[in-house]
Amino acid sequence: MVRAGAVGTHLSTSSLDIFGDLRKMNKRQLYYQVLNFAMIVSSALMIWKGLIVLTGSESPIVVVLSGSMEPAFHRGDLLFLTNFREDPIRAGEIVVFKVEGRDIPIVHRVIKVHEKDNGDIKFLTKGDNNEVDDRGLYKEGQNWLEKKDVVGRARGFLPYVGMVTIIMNDYPKFKYALLAVMGAYVLLKRES
Amino acid sequence: MAAVTAAQGGRSSGGGGGGGAGGGPSCGTGSGRSGLLDKWKIDDKPVKIDKWDGSAVKNSLDDSAKKVLLEKYKYVENFGLIDGRLTICTISCFFAIVALIWDYMHPFPESKPVLALCVISYFVMMGILTIYTSYKEKSIFLVAHRKDPTGMDPDDIWQLSSSLKRFDDKYTLKLTFISGRTKQQREAEFTKSIAKFFDHSGTLVMDAYEPEISRLHDSLATERKIK
Repeated sequence: MVRAGAVGTHLSTSSLDIFGDLRKMNKRQLYYQVLNFAMIVSSALMIWKGLIVLTGSESPIVVVLSGSMEPAFHRGDLLFLTNFREDPIRAGEIVVFKVEGRDIPIVHRVIKVHEKDNGDIKFLTKGDNNEVDDRGLYKEGQNWLEKKDVVGRARGFLPYVGMVTIIMNDYPKFKYALLAVMGAYVLLKRES
Repeated sequence: MAAVTAAQGGRSSGGGGGGGAGGGPSCGTGSGRSGLLDKWKIDDKPVKIDKWDGSAVKNSLDDSAKKVLLEKYKYVENFGLIDGRLTICTISCFFAIVALIWDYMHPFPESKPVLALCVISYFVMMGILTIYTSYKEKSIFLVAHRKDPTGMDPDDIWQLSSSLKRFDDKYTLKLTFISGRTKQQREAEFTKSIAKFFDHSGTLVMDAYEPEISRLHDSLATERKIK
């Protein structure tokens, strides 16, 4: 067993030095810490943008927020969407659409479709678990939806996984705290 | 006599727990430097880390080996390898930023070709980075040059690389010497338990570590003189 010299004993050893790793770094290593953080953020961003390009939908993954599509989808389910222009919209399909002027996409089933020869369509939607169709949700005076309102068509789903997103949106402070802790961990800890 | 078995699964210090030498500015023992940044650095203090944190142990051993080569033998560090990695990462982030800004300025359907280009470029750069770190950099953490005193021959190159397996206590340090003149390569390495270099409180004892480095160095240097 090797004995330590008496040099470091006057310094407090019980205090938490979260900057300890950073203090021992030179300029290049500090820049690499920042780059590391940037690369993690960039990877997440690129995967998201890549999915947008691949599926053609501006929001390829959405979370079901209400129970209006039970028993098919429940609140907290994760949906995977695609939005290829060649796919026709037919009655009976589940689409995710955005009403003009509102941010939140709605996932309901198409119940009526009118189609012109040149491919223009207008359609009506209704949630499986709702009593009435969605005309009450559309804009004032709007009775039909068009292709441009469609965010995408549901192609697959994962149950329950979306609850995390719902919780983080209901408690934004929790979301920011979590992100801050994760960010600090990546920035302050030296990678081996 | 018990060897330190760093086999405590899942115990991570998260950068805290005794890392560094406590808070507060450095005592400045006559180093003659001034400035806030210098006060913040703790280069001259004895290194004290959480002995159960494998990556902190490896980092401190690597840093001390670097210090020995650069300060005792006065070699000059070459940053080429590190700069290569930094450049690749910076270019990747640049593609990501371009994608972000372009998509913000021209919302989705119009930005599709630019987005596709940026995403593909980003992942290509990631692939290049992986190849670079696996094959070119390997586990080398120091490339140092010894300038030829006569100024005529090209520099001799010393490379340090090390490995410490997860939850293992055996640390392997390899020193590679590449002669500037003959371009020949010679290596020497040692594998020792980290218990030989750290005391029970986690302080790195340079008196035990420094002779090992010097021994590796001299074994490669003297061979040259005999030839």
